[in-house]
Amino acid sequence: MSEELLRIDDLHVAFSTRRGMVEAVRGVTLTVKAGEMLGLVGESGSGKSVTGFATTRLLDAAGRVTAGKILFRGQDVTKLRGDDLRQLQGAAMSMIFQNPRAALNPIRAIGLQIADAILTHKRISKEAARAEALDLLRAVQIRDPEARMNAYPHELSGGMCQRVMIAIAISCNPALLIADEPTTGLDVTTQKVVMDLLADIAAARGMATILITHDLGLAARYCRRIAVMERGRIVEEASPGILFSAPQHAYTRRLVAASPTATSRIEDLVTEEERERYAPIVSKSRREPAHGTPPLLEVRKLAKRFDQGAAAVADFSMTMAGGESVGLVGESGSGKSTTSRMICRLIDPSEGDIVFDGQSIGHVAARDFHRSPLRKDIQMVFQDPNESLNPRFSAFDCIAHPLMRLGGMRAGEGLRKRVEECAERVGLPLDLLPRFPHQLSGGQKARVGIARAIACRPRLLVLDEPTAALDVSVQAVVLQLLDRLRRENDIALLFVSHDLNVVRMLCERTIVLRNGGIVEQGESRALFDNPKTDYTRKLVEAIPHIETGPMLAAAL
Amino acid sequence: MLSYILRRIVATLPVMAIVALFVFSLLYIAPGDPAVVIAGDQASPEDVERIRQSLGLDRPFLVQFGGWVWRILHGDLGTSIFTNLPVSAMIGQRLGPTLSLMIVTLLLTIVVAVPLGVVAAWKAGSLIDRVIMGFAVFGFSLPVFVVGYMLAYIFALELEWLPVQGYTPLSQGFWPWLENLILPAIALGCVYIALVARITRAAMLEVLQQDYIRTAKAKGLGQGGILFIHALKNAAVPIVTVIGIGIALLIGGAVVTESVFAIPGLGRLTIDAILRRDYPVIQGIVLLFSFVYVLVNLMIDVVYTLVDPRIRY
Repeated sequence: MSEELLRIDDLHVAFSTRRGMVEAVRGVTLTVKAGEMLGLVGESGSGKSVTGFATTRLLDAAGRVTAGKILFRGQDVTKLRGDDLRQLQGAAMSMIFQNPRAALNPIRAIGLQIADAILTHKRISKEAARAEALDLLRAVQIRDPEARMNAYPHELSGGMCQRVMIAIAISCNPALLIADEPTTGLDVTTQKVVMDLLADIAAARGMATILITHDLGLAARYCRRIAVMERGRIVEEASPGILFSAPQHAYTRRLVAASPTATSRIEDLVTEEERERYAPIVSKSRREPAHGTPPLLEVRKLAKRFDQGAAAVADFSMTMAGGESVGLVGESGSGKSTTSRMICRLIDPSEGDIVFDGQSIGHVAARDFHRSPLRKDIQMVFQDPNESLNPRFSAFDCIAHPLMRLGGMRAGEGLRKRVEECAERVGLPLDLLPRFPHQLSGGQKARVGIARAIACRPRLLVLDEPTAALDVSVQAVVLQLLDRLRRENDIALLFVSHDLNVVRMLCERTIVLRNGGIVEQGESRALFDNPKTDYTRKLVEAIPHIETGPMLAAAL
Repeated sequence: MLSYILRRIVATLPVMAIVALFVFSLLYIAPGDPAVVIAGDQASPEDVERIRQSLGLDRPFLVQFGGWVWRILHGDLGTSIFTNLPVSAMIGQRLGPTLSLMIVTLLLTIVVAVPLGVVAAWKAGSLIDRVIMGFAVFGFSLPVFVVGYMLAYIFALELEWLPVQGYTPLSQGFWPWLENLILPAIALGCVYIALVARITRAAMLEVLQQDYIRTAKAKGLGQGGILFIHALKNAAVPIVTVIGIGIALLIGGAVVTESVFAIPGLGRLTIDAILRRDYPVIQGIVLLFSFVYVLVNLMIDVVYTLVDPRIRY
């Protein structure tokens, strides 16, 4: 077990860009022993994926190893060419990727895609390869494997696609598997199933694995050794227990603090120094609405049926008071996004009614709702800040646009002032306002999205996975911002998320959805601590908690 | 699948109806009395009246149109005013050469342009890529008749490798048939090859950036397997689309090419018919070309579903 399989020695990788050479990896040194699972953790841009791609020789054409060695069984991978390289790729070393659906050829049956990998490395007949592919589908526990052999990726769920990717990766019994964010974007429950499967297969076949992830909890649950990367360097390497109880490096401390846990509160997500500024606001409790005040939002028996098939949402009812925060959780396909879009009046409900501030808005057609005076009261923050900002609008334009369309403001001094006010409110430096989305970081874009949403002083903000695409440290800041907006400006938040840790912190109440119906609802902490249904319990248990990591590692 | 094809065929019917109405209206779109137009400048009033009656021009428009459509549906495209032969027979005589020219050009284009585009995308930014794309710009810019005369001069007159002009039916042997078509097909295919090569390159570049290409590399697949099994098939939809749209280019180009190389095909017939104001012949040819074009597009729609399982039928 202790035999050294991979040794990366002072690796430097640089990319040629329009602004010259940019170093993505600057001196990474690490070793992987045969059969072990190593966690490589860091935020976006830390160089963890680039290290993985350099090892499997899958760097983009623009990327180049400028210094250092990657020794795999004593052989320097960076110097391999032609056939020697191909004998390594997919055979001795393989890789699985983030976004499994995109990683599979959309127009080739999955059975063939698995057989491709086998036929590349083994001299066997097509029939034999097909039989092996079928065995692999069984090994990754795909139900009804014979029928699935001829399926195309778009006919499978994300979790199934990742299983197929795993089947491809293990098809030639590699000694080393590099898993690059293998479960990012999958549901928590699917994530657990896929990771458990991956860990079992790796253990059964004695495969060494490098788990590249931004999720400390995930690494803690499955790895006995974790290396933390920041800006192209490894800053700390330790067992999960030590890493979380006594992080040495400042960056690790920040990362550990920013990772939500089962017990953390929003104010816990930053290190001691940063906490000061926030404390006074949290202590300010929300004004209780006077008794008998009608709810801000009342949803009655909402249902949505798309063209064919079963209802996406059925019999959904809820109420929200002004300034309240409610979480909407569930697996993908549970109808949470559909529900939130109906409440935002972006799509039309098939049945039921939505009453906002005493006015029925459920029957106003979605395409006419932009003319309603209530449009500015209900605003939305979307999942991906990259995709939801117009690339040709500067940050200023993004925030100013709703003010002009809905707030009736004209271009001029007043508009400029209001935009700057909003930017300040969300902590966006004013000198960034003339920039275009591609010139902003993920966190800055998220702030622009929120500033745009609050520009017209809405009373209800609907957030659809607003932090799913963000790094944990950025997520921490965005969550604090949202919490502050709610407390100070009395904006009600309807928060749609599959990240239960985040919902637990941000939302006073939580509604659990499954197959378009409400399974359970109640006060967030109580609901998560004592789930009443198996479904909720499964959701809660599937979250990788940092706390459970050391215990698991100790038990092994 | 069968019901999809049937539905697509039904969907082409309104298109054909509109085309037919347009083709029929050609006579009336031309300024003045159609009978006078057909009769020409030197005709006497009696001639004009005779033509008017023989064509049924004295009856209401819709009645004429209905009768015309009815006859076409029975295979009767009318009679040439100039030769007094049935239009369908005249077209039948000329169909072979044009069809041969178009098929040879189509095959030549696919065989040359698609690999060139794939190589250009694979070696994007390299010298090979620039040379191929340079030729593509060249191909776009040169008119068919210039290329045609240049080719004829170099390969037929100077080198004497291939015949200068003319056409030999396939029934007289494969090589004599092909020999006469090589130069015209190159001349006609120039623009087409340039177009398809460019689109292939663009579509391939797009596909080569996709995650599943990286997966294919991670499996250890060779360059050929990645390019042709995984990438090209994914890039096929835009390529097939352009090949189909290009058929229209071929139809227009065939008219010129046939003149340059003295091929007795539909292109020549078209020019002759236009010069003689032989309206029934013009109508017949335009209708035929439109029909071919609609048919090609129908075939492309079917090819889409074969290439991409995500396109539902």
